[in-house]
Amino acid sequence: MDQANTKEIKQRAVFNRLLSYLKRDQKRLITAFVLLIIATGTDLLGPIIIKVFIDEHLTPRNFDHSVILLLALGYISIIILSCILNYIQLVLFQTAAMNIIQSMRIDVFTKVHSLGLRFFDRTPVGSLVSKITNDTEAIKDLYVSVLSAFVQNIVYLAGIFMAMFYLNVKLGLFCLVLLPVIAFIMVLYRKYSSKSFLLMREKLSELNAKLNESLQGMSVIQVFNQQKRLKREFADVNMEHNAAWMKNIKYNGLLLRPAVDLVYVLAIMIVLTFFGIKSFSSPVEIGVIYAFVNYMDRFFEPVNMLMMRLSMFQQAIIAGGRVFELLDENDEAPGTKGGSHPFITEGSVEFKNVSFSYDDKHLVLKNISFHARPGETVALVGHTGSGKSSITNLLMRFYELKQGEITIDSVPLSHFRNPELRSKMGLVLQDSFLFAGNIAHNISLFNTNITRERVKEAADFVQASEFIEKLPGGYDQEIGERGSTFSTGQRQLISFARTMAFEPKILILDEATANIDTQTEDAIQHALQKMRAGRTTIAIAHRLSTIQDADQILVLHKGEIVERGTHQQLIQMKGLYFKMYALQQKDKLSEEVG
Amino acid sequence: MYGLNVFWDLMWYFKQEKRRYLTGIALLALVSLCLLIPPKIIGYTVDLIKNDSLSGKRLGSYMLILAVVAITVYILRFFWRVLIYGASIQLALLLRNQLYTHFTNMSPRFYQKRKVGDLMAHSTNDLQAIQQTAGDGVLTLVDSSMMGGFTLITMAATISWKLTLISLLPLPFMAWSTSRYGTMLHERFHKAQKAFSEMNDKVQESISGARVIKAFGQEEQDVDAFKRLSKGVIQKNISVAKVDALFDPTISLVVGASFFLAVSYGSSLVLNDELTIGQLVSFTSYLGLLIWPMLAFGWLFNIVERGRASYDRVTALLKVDDVISEKEEGFQDPPVGSVVMNLSSFSYENSGPLVLKNIHFELAEGKTMGIVGKTGSGKTTLCRLLLKEFEVGDQQIMLAGHDINDYRLHAVREAIGYVPQDHFLFSATVAENIAFGKYNASFQDIKQAAKDAAVYEDIVQFKNGFETVVGERGVTLSGGQKQRISIARALLTDPELLILDDSLSAVDARTEEDILKNLKRKRKDKTTIITAHRLSSVDHADLILVLDEGRMIQKGTHEELIAKPGWYRDTYERQALESMIAKGG
Repeated sequence: MDQANTKEIKQRAVFNRLLSYLKRDQKRLITAFVLLIIATGTDLLGPIIIKVFIDEHLTPRNFDHSVILLLALGYISIIILSCILNYIQLVLFQTAAMNIIQSMRIDVFTKVHSLGLRFFDRTPVGSLVSKITNDTEAIKDLYVSVLSAFVQNIVYLAGIFMAMFYLNVKLGLFCLVLLPVIAFIMVLYRKYSSKSFLLMREKLSELNAKLNESLQGMSVIQVFNQQKRLKREFADVNMEHNAAWMKNIKYNGLLLRPAVDLVYVLAIMIVLTFFGIKSFSSPVEIGVIYAFVNYMDRFFEPVNMLMMRLSMFQQAIIAGGRVFELLDENDEAPGTKGGSHPFITEGSVEFKNVSFSYDDKHLVLKNISFHARPGETVALVGHTGSGKSSITNLLMRFYELKQGEITIDSVPLSHFRNPELRSKMGLVLQDSFLFAGNIAHNISLFNTNITRERVKEAADFVQASEFIEKLPGGYDQEIGERGSTFSTGQRQLISFARTMAFEPKILILDEATANIDTQTEDAIQHALQKMRAGRTTIAIAHRLSTIQDADQILVLHKGEIVERGTHQQLIQMKGLYFKMYALQQKDKLSEEVG
Repeated sequence: MYGLNVFWDLMWYFKQEKRRYLTGIALLALVSLCLLIPPKIIGYTVDLIKNDSLSGKRLGSYMLILAVVAITVYILRFFWRVLIYGASIQLALLLRNQLYTHFTNMSPRFYQKRKVGDLMAHSTNDLQAIQQTAGDGVLTLVDSSMMGGFTLITMAATISWKLTLISLLPLPFMAWSTSRYGTMLHERFHKAQKAFSEMNDKVQESISGARVIKAFGQEEQDVDAFKRLSKGVIQKNISVAKVDALFDPTISLVVGASFFLAVSYGSSLVLNDELTIGQLVSFTSYLGLLIWPMLAFGWLFNIVERGRASYDRVTALLKVDDVISEKEEGFQDPPVGSVVMNLSSFSYENSGPLVLKNIHFELAEGKTMGIVGKTGSGKTTLCRLLLKEFEVGDQQIMLAGHDINDYRLHAVREAIGYVPQDHFLFSATVAENIAFGKYNASFQDIKQAAKDAAVYEDIVQFKNGFETVVGERGVTLSGGQKQRISIARALLTDPELLILDDSLSAVDARTEEDILKNLKRKRKDKTTIITAHRLSSVDHADLILVLDEGRMIQKGTHEELIAKPGWYRDTYERQALESMIAKGG
């Protein structure tokens, strides 16, 4: 019981928060609402005009042409006016709903980018994507279909009642009886039909999940001869789904349109009985009967609409809960400490007794200390999982440091603002990542301080200009599908140019040279040499040949520095580095032979 | 009218379910007839009131008729829904099962050519469209013709055909415009969906690339790019809304115009005493009854148009005949014995690149064979040929002395336990996954298989042990754990031939050793084939094949192969050094 209560409270909170978003397009919504009221008012005037016509002209056979013409014109203009107003208000409501969703989506997306990598490490990509797109889409349905339908139909129903009260207060009062009856049907509907609808949806997604999984694992199913069993299992879920569906059809048959139509006839009976009994004692205006019957005809479609939209409500609330959970996430990216906002001028990098763990359980770095003086190259080598990438992750300040200290130009890393770090530290990744846009954009990264001149210089510097200028669009060539039309080497060179355009003080090379043909390889090596000149470089390399000239090589094993020195020194030590080197020499040899 | 012939194609189903459909349609007809009564009663009552001749008895009997009509209609409506909608969802069930069965019969070739997402779309969206055709489609067809027809006849015959004709003038415009809006809506909706999926891709890319975006401080630019895309989605959605919002006003306009004509022309008839006021009132009520059939007529176009296209896609899919051929009279019992391959060549496509060429080996019963080679050298293809996932000519693969093509497919597969490279687990418990190939296995056997695959210790560490749910909606397992559960799954069936296709790549050296030891002990008299990158997985084998680009470049035992120069010896030395480095020197 308590649990159900807290769930209810939570859902209410989500709903209130969803409502509070309506403020974001308040003006449009208010305009739409005003138009809605005018449109409804005009729409409902129609039967009254006909009533006047019947009672004052048709029944007494009083034909004052100018008055009748006026009534006719009035009727036609009312129809046209209400149609136009209705169209405008419908579009306005929808536009407002879409705008609100747009701003919510941007909120969520911006929020995601403010979160730290720690958050991304523990959250599956799929569920995150679904929150930003599918869940906000479900919320859109709430605004577009549910809320707007509620406002529209409730205003319409209220208008009908007002018109009926205007025509005959007593009968209007009698008709109020309809409200509890309809409310009762709605409660029943929500209790049974909505529930069976949700159950059906649940079964459907179970069914689809099963089908999807079977399609993906079909070869396993066939190899293990399990077709029959899985067919049976699928047929079972299929049956369950259909049973739930059938139940929903039955509930809808009992509680939806047929029930509402039953109430409609009840309403007509009330109207006819009322006037019938009244006619026993006094004359009755036929026009009033006409108008009442006409209003009753219009009364029940909105009721049907309201009921059908009820089942969408629940789904939107659930989706809203998920989106807000993400918006309230507080695993933010590491921020800046101190207010000094220093700049990187020299590029001296120092690690002092740094230990680090991603999950607070297993240390991936243990007591790492080294110093890269301005312009020096420090190379990190080691087996997969030895901790090389963790060192660069910390240096890029993707994660908050807990033990030890990292300084740049003797200032703690945490004192630098992120933009300063990102612009002065150039990262070159193994998997060169191209963004949507053209080549120039990929080099300047939309940074307006970087002129086209600078872009060309950077491309020239890494010798990428040659192939770029041969492209049909040159620097304006669009990059489709994450650059799949370019070779690995070309992509690599573009990302080099990007790094150089920012004129970094510190270079971080993450296994920058792998899987490239020899010719491009030479170009890349040449570019790298040039890039490193005069810059502090922290390089991760699998291929030891590329870092032989490093000022210092750190050999990592299970998070610790086990050997350090220059290439020559390490070879002479005949330790781990020597073995790695021997292995690679062997590979090289066999490649040349083979 | 395009699409309407889909009803013809569905005739087999309508015939099969003719009782439900005929009864349903009869009930619908009854409902239509019943609905003609209330407007009449309204008209009579109005006339009596006007002439001051309404008696209490008369009023009472009219009200009784209304009550009876209302309750009858309520009951009939419930039943036709159950009948017609019930039949239509039955069709969805039927087709869904048919598709599933069809999918289980398709060979891997079928799946190589198609995306799972497309197959899913056929099984969801297309089935839904077909179901709607068999349900709402039938309803709208019957309703717009019967309900509309009856009402028209009543109006023309019992009130005034002239008035009917004139008031109906605007109504076809409604059917025409709603159908047109429907088409426009469909197109724009399609665009909106496309924009939505583009946005989805963008979000996917941004989140997978979060590290890079952060590294280059591109958060703001990325948010801007997202803004542009989601703005596009919103704009497309608004353009949908602009059409969607046309429906209601158009209907009001047409209905209003029709009422206007009815009342103005009707009044002149009243003046000429051709009509009573009561008849005019009931006439307008009948007009109200016509709205729905007109709308239904417009919708009918859209429903059947979609149903037509979907039904064509689904039947085309069901017609695909990508099955592995079998001899009817083939051996039913699984082969027990040697494995011999004399393969001259194999390629996936008829004139496609050769994947395997000149593979010859004989593996006696109870022996172990290793297959090594680089990625793409053809190891997996070779395994899949033994499983008969792809067909080869006669006499190229012999199992227990008979051609593989002389066995029934299930016999071949029953003999083999396969551990695929991409260890696929189902969204089920660990125990269910291990028992996948032998569903009635005892828990004792399941535990033993887990122990043999060296994954038992991992499983009991999970909170729910063997009852832990894995797969997409369960806990995330490491690659090594998945591999070992797949091994347990194959071991549990105690197959005559066990094929481990690169299934030890994600386990560490010591666990590998444990598993291999267990295999040796458990499968002393059974045949085993192991493909691997690491030579340590196969160095105990009785026979080792070295594949390179689909060709067999070396063959022999470990001792023979390391004795002579070649790929095997080079790799062996390299890997020895590598494992030393991995251990830290």
